[in-house]
Parts: sequence; structure tokens; C-alpha cells
Amino acid sequence: MNENNPTPPQFPQGQPVPPTQSAPPIPPIPPVTSYAPKPLGENPEERLPITSPIQAIEAILRQPRRVMYQLRQPGAGPLMMYLMVVAIFCAAVYGVVVGTFSMHDQLWIAPVKIAGGLLVSALICLPSLYIFTCLSGSQARLAEIYGLIMGMLMLTTILLIGFAPVAWLFSQSTESVNWMGTLHLIFWFIAALFGLRFLNAAFSHSQAKSNAGFNTWVVIFMLVVVQMTTALRPIVGTSDKFFPTEKKFFLSYWSDCLRLDSERPNTERNDYQRR
Amino acid sequence: MHVTSLNPRFVSVFLRAEPDAFSEWVISRQSQLIGFCVLAIVAGAGAYGAVMGSWSCPAQALYAGIKLPLVILLTTVGNGLLNGMLAPLLGLNATFRQSLLVVLMTFAIASMILGALSPIAWFLVWNTPPLTAGTHATSPEYGLLQLTLAVFVAYAGVVGNLRLLPMLAQWTANVGVARRVLFAWLAGNLFLGSQICWVLRPFIWDPCGPPRFIGREFLHGSFFETVFEIVRRLLFQ
Repeated sequence: MNENNPTPPQFPQGQPVPPTQSAPPIPPIPPVTSYAPKPLGENPEERLPITSPIQAIEAILRQPRRVMYQLRQPGAGPLMMYLMVVAIFCAAVYGVVVGTFSMHDQLWIAPVKIAGGLLVSALICLPSLYIFTCLSGSQARLAEIYGLIMGMLMLTTILLIGFAPVAWLFSQSTESVNWMGTLHLIFWFIAALFGLRFLNAAFSHSQAKSNAGFNTWVVIFMLVVVQMTTALRPIVGTSDKFFPTEKKFFLSYWSDCLRLDSERPNTERNDYQRR
Repeated sequence: MHVTSLNPRFVSVFLRAEPDAFSEWVISRQSQLIGFCVLAIVAGAGAYGAVMGSWSCPAQALYAGIKLPLVILLTTVGNGLLNGMLAPLLGLNATFRQSLLVVLMTFAIASMILGALSPIAWFLVWNTPPLTAGTHATSPEYGLLQLTLAVFVAYAGVVGNLRLLPMLAQWTANVGVARRVLFAWLAGNLFLGSQICWVLRPFIWDPCGPPRFIGREFLHGSFFETVFEIVRRLLFQ
């Protein structure tokens, strides 16, 4: 990620360009370096405050160190709010795309469940992340960790928006709930990897002596989110009830779906999954 | 040099894919370059599509000639947002517009290669036994035609992407980053492009009836679902 390269290259637009042979050397696009352990705020541009949700989106994609630095400053509340609002908005937009598979009530149920589920999962996991990072020797405050989790969610959901056109096309093409569910999970997993990478980079600046606690938390968080999809089922298919009446572990639910999918004829396949 | 027309001199410069020249165009001549790339895609992929469809009938040739460029342009637009986000996240600090342009350039190179392979593909189509009432989806001649045409497309796609690698490497000063970005774009475009092809099928022949622009079951099932089902049937039944 381009943490040491805060602004994208500015290129002249609409200017006449001499022939290639006599053209001056093209200024190379600045190389992007990996997360180096340079102190946050060393680059003056990282110290520029983030004053709008749009700036927050731009910063988390191109200047993640700026977000990390700003979250450490006093008065980071508005930034945390931007991160949370954008994350909820993007999750809801992706939820609408998920809902287009079943249409009707799922167009509002899926966004509510996805945005709510992600937020609740993050809040459930917030205390454990704080404890684990403290045990690792980190000096991050609870508010900063909350902001970083919101940053992770925002990056994840922004990437999900990038996947939305692909997801929509498949939603319109296939009739299999299993297939669409798997596809959404793959997209979420890829997006979450980038979000967790942001979180990991932020913790490398928090003077933590070990990554073991953070890695453990990552596993827990992923399991919580996956279980949340089962607890809030159905998200892709349809149901008469908003919440399921039967409690299930996600592996057991997936196994049931796959077994019934292979046993039943096409027309009956999705009845169970839609319940 | 004028970028907006398909003049042979510029085409040769474009295909040589010299990093300095490419960078200059991406930086300073974006709208002209977009125009050139779209023109190259329409001409190159259109010619190849027409050859594919010509095995069946002239109407199918016309439809496939329109649909193949359409697949490429829809894939570029559909994945534009995702590709633009992945570039900075993987280490290439390019803007959305630059990312979109680079992907368009890879498709333009691939389309030019396809256009150049069109005469060979046409020769293959001409030598393949014509479509008769006895021809069915499992006929060996149909299989060979499908396979050869698909290999040409795969070859053009891979070469088109590899030609852009030196420029991306120059931008990032890191070949590893350039490879990662290119691979991510290639994977995403392949994933979406396959499904768009599936939706816009048939390209060569519709075994179920007279030619149509889009087949009867265009939004029924997905490419990967079908492949998965075939593999499952082969392995477990």
C-alpha cells in the first residue's frame, strides 16, 4: 500500500506533447513502498486533517498512514464518524446488490442485515482486540482501536462496492442460492484481507512486541462474521421471518445446504436454503 | 504522432509497447488514447468475432462481430472501479483514470492480436466441415473449432497483459508490484469477462435454433457454475 507516497502523480492534461524522440524524460510515477516502520506523521501530508467522508475514502485507499496518524490525534471523533458512516453506507449499497438476487423484501432486508451484521461483529470483537493488543505491549487507546476497526470496515466495504458490478451480474444469471452465497463470501474474504492488512499495518506502529494476539483476533473476527451470516440467515434467499427460528453453527448450516442441493431436483433445491 | 487513428505507423509503435512512449500517452494524451483503444478493440475484436460467427451464417457473424468488442468494453467498465481500487492497495499509485486506461490498453493490444489472427481463424473456419443438420454440440469438428478459437483468445489476452508489464514496472520501480497488480487485474477481468461471454452467448452457433443476438437462456446459470457441475458429474457420477 502506498503509505509513503501520499498523493497520486499530477499529470499535465491537454498540453501539447513533443515527439517521443525529443521529449524530456517522463517523470516516473513515484514508487510505492511497503509499510515501513517510519514514524507516523513524518511526512507533512500525513498531518493534514481529514475533513470529509470523501477525503476519508481517498486517504484510506492512497494514504492509509494519514488515517492512522489522524486517528491518534486529539479530536479524532469526526474522522471515526466518517469511517463508520461510509462503512455502513457502502455495506448497505452492497446489500442492495445482494438483495437483487431474490428482489422484493430482500432489497431492504439484505442491506439492513449486512450493514448491521458487520457493525455488530466489529463491536463484539472490539473488547477482545483491545485486550489482545494490550497484552502484546501495544500503547494504542481504546478509541484509537475503535477508529482502526472502523477504518478496516470502511476499506473492506469500499472494496465490496468495487465487486458489486460483478456480483450483480452473477445475481441476475444464476438461480442457485448456494452459488451466490459462496461468491459473496469469496468477495467478502478478499476485501477483508485488504482491511485486515490495514489494521495490521496500524498495529505495527503501536509498539506491540508480538503479533500473536492480533493474529488470534483475526481468526476470531473472521469466525464471528461468518457465524453472523448464519445467525442472520437468509441474506441471499428469502424467508417469511426476519430472523431464523432455529439456531445453527455455520458449518452445520453450510453442510445441510450442500447436502440438500445435491440430493434434491433443481426445482426443489432452494426451498430449504430460503427458510 | 496522431493517436486517434489506426495508422500503421502508430499501431506498430503501440504494439512495441515501449514504456516511455506508453507513459507519455497515459500521462498527456488520455482522451486520444481512449479513442484509439476503443477503435482498436472494435476493429480487432470485431473482425475476430465476425470470423467466429461466420461458421454458422452471416447473421451470426454480424452478431458475434458486435458482441466480442462489447464483452471487452463491458468488462473494462464493470471492473473499472475494482481495478482502480486494487492498484493503490497493491502498490501502484495510479489514479482511477490511469488504471482504466492501462486495462483498456491491454485489451487494445489483445484485440489487435486477435484482428491479426482473424485471417488464420477464417482459414480454419473455412476448412471446417460446414454446419449441417447432423452437426451437434459434441461433434468433433465443432469441438476443434471451439478449442482453436479459444486458444487464440487466450494467447492474445496473455500477450496483451505481458506487454504492459515493463511500463508498470517502470512506474512502480518494482517488478513484483507490477506483477501483482497485473495478475489481480487479469484475474478480475477473466472472472467477469467469462460471465459476460456466458450471458452474451452464443458466439459461434446456437444449436437450439436460428441465430439470435443473445441466446434464449442468456441469464440462466453462470459460466463457473456450469463448469463446476460438469467437473462434479465427471468425477462423482
